[in-house]
Amino acid sequence: MPKKDYYSSRAHDLLGSIFGVFALSMLITSPWQVDTSGPDPFYKGPLIFPLIVFCLMLAGSLPSLWRLFRPSEKSSWYLDGQGKPFKTMVILGLLIIYLAGIIFIGLEVSTWLFLLIALKLVNQDSILKLTLIPVLVTLILFVIFKYFLDIWFPEPLIMEIFLE
Amino acid sequence: MFEHLHAGLLAAVSMSNLIALFFGTFVGIVVGILPGLGPMVGMVVLLPFSFAFSPDVALSLLLGVFCGGYFGGAVPAVLLRTPGVPSSLVTSFDGYPLTQKGEAQTALSAALLGSFGGGVISVVILIFLAPALAHVAASFGPPEYFAVAVFGVVLVVMAFREQFARGIMLLGLGFWFSTVGIDGTTLSERFCFGTLSMQNGLDIVPICLGLFGIGQTLILVERDIMKTNDIKLSRSTLDFSAIVKVLKYWKTLIRSGVIGTFVGLLPGTGSILASFLSYDVAKRLSKEKERFGKGTPEGCLASEAGNNAVPAGAMIPLLTLGIPGDALSAVLLGVFTINGIYPGPLLLVKEPVLISTIYISMLLINVVAFLMLIIWLRPFAMIVKVPGRLLAVVIMVISMIGIYAVNTRLFDAGVAIAMGVLGYILLRMGWPVVTLIMGVVLGEIMENRLRETLSLGDGSLGILFQRPICIFLIVLTSLIILIPFVLDIRKNIRNKKLNQF
Repeated sequence: MPKKDYYSSRAHDLLGSIFGVFALSMLITSPWQVDTSGPDPFYKGPLIFPLIVFCLMLAGSLPSLWRLFRPSEKSSWYLDGQGKPFKTMVILGLLIIYLAGIIFIGLEVSTWLFLLIALKLVNQDSILKLTLIPVLVTLILFVIFKYFLDIWFPEPLIMEIFLE
Repeated sequence: MFEHLHAGLLAAVSMSNLIALFFGTFVGIVVGILPGLGPMVGMVVLLPFSFAFSPDVALSLLLGVFCGGYFGGAVPAVLLRTPGVPSSLVTSFDGYPLTQKGEAQTALSAALLGSFGGGVISVVILIFLAPALAHVAASFGPPEYFAVAVFGVVLVVMAFREQFARGIMLLGLGFWFSTVGIDGTTLSERFCFGTLSMQNGLDIVPICLGLFGIGQTLILVERDIMKTNDIKLSRSTLDFSAIVKVLKYWKTLIRSGVIGTFVGLLPGTGSILASFLSYDVAKRLSKEKERFGKGTPEGCLASEAGNNAVPAGAMIPLLTLGIPGDALSAVLLGVFTINGIYPGPLLLVKEPVLISTIYISMLLINVVAFLMLIIWLRPFAMIVKVPGRLLAVVIMVISMIGIYAVNTRLFDAGVAIAMGVLGYILLRMGWPVVTLIMGVVLGEIMENRLRETLSLGDGSLGILFQRPICIFLIVLTSLIILIPFVLDIRKNIRNKKLNQF
């Protein structure tokens, strides 16, 4: 797809408009979200820069807002033809679960499980890869972070439940 | 100066620094060779680990990735016509035709010698130019710093002129991220949304790691950037006679290195422009113009010397003014500030040994990267066979644990995931993410300088127009914004007139 057409997709206008609406809402609510109780004059205070920033964002989003509500005849929602990111969303979901997993089942088990499932999802079907890589990466992470760097990781909640 | 260089040399050749330098360079070459990753991903993944080390060792580790990435990018560009880093695209113009003719060794020799020469020349320029620029900057007050920061930011946004409005939006978003948390000057709470975790602010590390580390790997998960088994290399090491043969283009090498350094010095210009410009100048001045594009080692040499001179060039404004030239040096600025070191003209006076260590380390990185690729050329080239998706999943896990390890806060990992989603959307849509990073890094500097300038002017920015350096920078900034738009308007009018006839 030619570069010009790619950038003229309405998906860009939608994203720009989201940023614009966000900036507008923040601009309105800023005085309540910033503690301005200090004695400083306004120009030395903590609110002046955020207000400038939101105005800047809002100004940048105006072309997108205009194009979103007044689209030209040639405009379309077509972006890059790479399809919908289902696999990416699943991996992203797994990543969030992985974080929660560190709390519930511990670093080692959750890392091993995440790698095993994620590798299977991205079509790494070889048995060797599926068994070796998760174990190897988990082991390396354990040695680096727990053994060498002595980083504290939360005690798995599941262990506490069993111990109780 | 020389006693500091001597002390820097001793620090640079210490065991811990050498290990960091070797490891960083190795990782840099690997991520540089792998299309779709690049030095930025390598740097952000190693960023959490760097906090375990002293600032000089941490910087050597990350500078190794920075420079090594540009070395590695040339290998797939020459062998497969797939640039490992975007700026190596120009290397493929002549490198791949040479490979097709069975002269891959000559092409790689030219590219690697170019990278090495460009890197060394730029470090030498850095050593002599940085003190001179710092001397000028020593007379700067808050208004001058504010004007320089605005100038830098405008250059970065204008580098993505086709997406000017998007660049402005992302810059604003980056500025906003930098304001979240407790304001350092007034200790006021800002945008914490009633949560305690937000009071510490949004750290630069999870933001960078999320945007580039997680964001880029999510893209890798859905796309097979490159799959190949077709690697044509006559031997496992680089042929020394081929390197000697390429040395006859030494004038092109020096010229391209100088061009690359000065392009890198300007914020926002980046390595792609450096390699294009070096290649173009080499072509214009060459005795063998007709061979360019069909396979000449001179073309490979010029483009690689240009792009590998950029890291040291970008260090000049970073060290002397505290203004990063690109996203990679913005990450380095983050490392400086997290370690309590604030780049600026005084840094060269306050931390001369650290600065000298950086200089010597950068020279060593170029030597190490050059030697590594000479000796292990085939093993490095084989890296392109590793499936990108497998790497993506592994990088995600390392990133998440690394980010948690910095402050042992799962909140940071959550921020990295949120930034990863944003990074994925922006990278997939081709928005200029660099402006977002520049906003995050420069936000605090800009805000503080703005407030200081306003205080000096009793609430008025008129003070900017009373100081010669500020006036010069304001005029320059205005011209940078206006000239391209005026030229565009003139071009459109001319095109309309032509269409009418």
